[in-house]
Amino acid sequence: MRIESIAQFAALQEQARERATSRLQQIMVCCGTGCLASGSKKVAEAFAAEVAKRELDASVGMVVKTTGCHGFCERGPLVALLPSGILYTKVKPSNVEQIIDKTVLGGEVIPSLTYKNPADGQRIAAYTEIPFYKHQTRVAMRNIGRIDPTDILDAIVEGAYAGLAKALSEMTPEAVIEEVAVAGQRGRGGAGFSTSRKWRSCRRAPGDRRFVLCNGDEGDPGAFKDRSIMEGVPHSVLEGMVIGAWAVGAHEGYIYVRDEYPLAVVHLTIALEQARRYGLLGENIMGSGFDFDIKISRGGGAFVCGESSALMRSLEGKIGEPRAKYVHSTDKGLFDLPTVLNNVETWAGIGAIIDRGGKWFASMGTDRSKGTKAFSLVGKVKNTGLIELPMGTTLRTIIFDIGGGILGDRPFKAVQTGGPSGGCVPESLLDLPVDYERLTEAGSMMGSGGMIVMDDRTCMVDVARYFLKFLTEESCGKCVPCREGLQQLLHIFDRLVDGRGRKDDIAKIERLARGMQLGSLCELGKSAPNPVLSTLRYFRSEYEAHIHDRSCPAGTCRELTAYEIIPDLCDGCHACFKACPVDAITGTIKELHVIHHDACISCGACFDVCPTAAIRTFPKVELNTEVV
Amino acid sequence: MSEQPCVDLAKAEAILGKYPPEEPSLIQVLQDVQRAYNFLPCDVLVKVADALGVPLAHVFSVATFYKAFALNPQGDTIIKVCTGTACHIRGAGQLVEELVRTLGIRPDQTTEDLKFTIKTVNCVGACAMAPVMIVGEKYWGNAKPARMTKYLGKGRGDDEN
Amino acid sequence: MPTLTVNGKKVTVGEDAVILDAARCAGVHVPTLCQFDGLEPWGGCRLCVVDMWQQGWDEDWFKMVTACNHPVAEGMRVVTASERVVETRRVVLDLLLARCPDTALIQRLAAEHGITETSYEVNPKATDCILCGLCTRVCDHIGVSAIASVNRGFGREIAPPFHQAPPDCIGCLACAEVCPTQCIPYSEAAGSRRIWDKDFEMLRDPATGEAVITKAQAEHFARRSGVRPGYFATSETSKRRAMAATFAKLKVVG
Repeated sequence: MRIESIAQFAALQEQARERATSRLQQIMVCCGTGCLASGSKKVAEAFAAEVAKRELDASVGMVVKTTGCHGFCERGPLVALLPSGILYTKVKPSNVEQIIDKTVLGGEVIPSLTYKNPADGQRIAAYTEIPFYKHQTRVAMRNIGRIDPTDILDAIVEGAYAGLAKALSEMTPEAVIEEVAVAGQRGRGGAGFSTSRKWRSCRRAPGDRRFVLCNGDEGDPGAFKDRSIMEGVPHSVLEGMVIGAWAVGAHEGYIYVRDEYPLAVVHLTIALEQARRYGLLGENIMGSGFDFDIKISRGGGAFVCGESSALMRSLEGKIGEPRAKYVHSTDKGLFDLPTVLNNVETWAGIGAIIDRGGKWFASMGTDRSKGTKAFSLVGKVKNTGLIELPMGTTLRTIIFDIGGGILGDRPFKAVQTGGPSGGCVPESLLDLPVDYERLTEAGSMMGSGGMIVMDDRTCMVDVARYFLKFLTEESCGKCVPCREGLQQLLHIFDRLVDGRGRKDDIAKIERLARGMQLGSLCELGKSAPNPVLSTLRYFRSEYEAHIHDRSCPAGTCRELTAYEIIPDLCDGCHACFKACPVDAITGTIKELHVIHHDACISCGACFDVCPTAAIRTFPKVELNTEVV
Repeated sequence: MSEQPCVDLAKAEAILGKYPPEEPSLIQVLQDVQRAYNFLPCDVLVKVADALGVPLAHVFSVATFYKAFALNPQGDTIIKVCTGTACHIRGAGQLVEELVRTLGIRPDQTTEDLKFTIKTVNCVGACAMAPVMIVGEKYWGNAKPARMTKYLGKGRGDDEN
Repeated sequence: MPTLTVNGKKVTVGEDAVILDAARCAGVHVPTLCQFDGLEPWGGCRLCVVDMWQQGWDEDWFKMVTACNHPVAEGMRVVTASERVVETRRVVLDLLLARCPDTALIQRLAAEHGITETSYEVNPKATDCILCGLCTRVCDHIGVSAIASVNRGFGREIAPPFHQAPPDCIGCLACAEVCPTQCIPYSEAAGSRRIWDKDFEMLRDPATGEAVITKAQAEHFARRSGVRPGYFATSETSKRRAMAATFAKLKVVG
């Protein structure tokens, strides 16, 4: 049924609402990539089969939905229930009958399936009471986990396309841009450029043909918020793009999805078909006379294609080589025509901004960073997952209140933000309110929103090396400072982690870093030294230990670290023996176990499993043996 | 080029029929070709160049630039170990080492019997389940080296880890 | 026609000029590697970086940009040898010297900037190719596109498709001639030319017998111009003779 007027859209909203109210009991099974990896598909199938078998859909209006990523991936498979608002974790197909009988029909909580707060061991059943969710303010991700991403009516009930209806019926394109300006939204891909300024620039560019693009390349390792948005609430992205296209006068759009996100491509494709069928995309949208359609383009596997000019080359069928930005892409972008490129999360927020008003958005956040931001909180933190918070929330709140603190209660060391262009923020800055400027001042950056928490067993020299290795494989190779500079930095770091550091290495690193920052063609090369420089800034002593003492204070660089079992603490449980991949440990059960240094590869597997903390690390140079 | 097996070009023709015959279609076409043949055969690349009106040198340039493409036949099952930051600090390296030990090949290599190819890949976006390994289409989260035989399907396992 | 200063010297240049044009106008030398008059600027070598200030910016706020492709603007101030510019050029040459330790051009440029030995790890597979892209760019420019860049990052190289004789190459030698380090080899013998492992039959000038042009190149020109291929097989010797004959027929008047 094609919507050809705002009145018809209102009728559709009503229809969707009626259907929702008839669904007296909703069982929402998370089927984002994370929970799917934990087996949620079988859980969803078990629920669907049980409900069908007992005809509970007809009799009590019970509906089973598969939803996008709830964000609490570590506790998956996750099942949320409405109207009770209960969240069950680590659900297995064998729990399905019990959940239906006891909770959905019987109204009773099953404690063993609820979230257990690691801080005090308490069980929490209500979704909104779980600390992980309690502290969140979800805007871009507002409906993920509540709706079935393959069902447009579900999205409409939760507000999808209401912003578009308002824009097309009550606002001019300039008014739309003005509303986004009032909201103060800045790009959520990493650069944080003002969305309204970008749109205004493009609108003013001469010519009839222009494009709006969605950057779904999410290359920062550790970030997966765009994946969740594209998989979980694809209509939010589409709606944002239609509004943006209306604002700048574009009739063609592309969503560039990285190759590694196949489910996102599937859900976006379904969403596009549905939107077209309902006249919310394509010709004469909502009867307004405005034409606009979107194509999906898959990336080829190149981090550099997250850079806007490289992305456009890729859309043109070329290699992903960035070009100098002296000519702005809002004037000459895709096919040398005016183009607006925005991130997935940026687009996903637009519908709500138009629907609820820019002032509402600007009421959250800090003075220069308005609104909310999605983060993926991962690494050595207890509650890993996807969260969305007002800008200005402190790192401490994020890592300890929402994240629940460090895994194994080990000491916090640093949190890495901004991906390969960012840096590590140490403990002394835990009270930093998170916003664009503050993170940059601290030597890091917002980036895509990846937050990787590190503990005392993370070597910062190794972290820097990790990002260098990543970037050497992703550099397009066009310019000398990046292509050659990254390789040379990696050579230096290979030596550092192997204990072959030289006295002048730090000076050499700093000189090369500066050359790359000033000389590189694009931001990949210019920001590549950031992880190196920020770890040098806050953890210089680790570098010096590697160079001068041939030791790794974190105890993880393999060439510098040896392991041994402390006799007094070993209870002979045999766990280390089983974990060792190279049979370097001898010992029988209940007897003292011994690590043989000549065979030991210092991988740390034994250390990770020892239940009595009976294994310690020490600098390999102290081994006065014939090996190493 | 002559060492490559002869391929059935019909699949390529079908793929080319789905896209406008112009340069912007190149990467999408190559991805479909990669999926259909499990690599990019040179005969097909020549055909693609011709059909889309793109110089062969540019097609080859694109084929070698993007990580999604392989120019040599890949194994029936591709094992991808995520080396994103979260996976790295949660032990992706140990998974790779265990794979190398088990299969006797290094990343980007294929076993002699063409059953497996190991690849290290960029972040797959399942960071909360780090470290992540994908065997074929199946995602294994919180993967442990000790369970490698299960992941490789030599034992039957269900979705749980 | 914008007016700007380069190292304090005022120059006025055309609307579409880039900073490098302005520098030349001012008689100021800016080193380049991947730039070639007649080809679109590429901005890959980063050797031509300069510091630039534009109207409306804070007095001491400069931006480092490449001179070869940055457009000029009224009132712009360009500094071609500030400390940080020179240092950045040094880093670029230092890195190139590590990549191409035995390449005369790089050795000379590096020495001019005070570098006789690289600070970095020398490339075990030393090459003369500086990846300036001139060869592929000129090949694209003449509408042949026989070679292109292959792979990305440090492993990037210039190669024909599948590293085999390029089917589209016409043997015109433009790539070899534009290469700043002469690292594309070719040979000619007995009316045949060989480049990129491909052999080309040469067309001979019927008047002099000299091998003038490859058949493939003549056919390429013929296709693009509508003129028959044989026209292009005129040697320089024949052209000079024809011109001499013309001069001989001219009468000097007055």
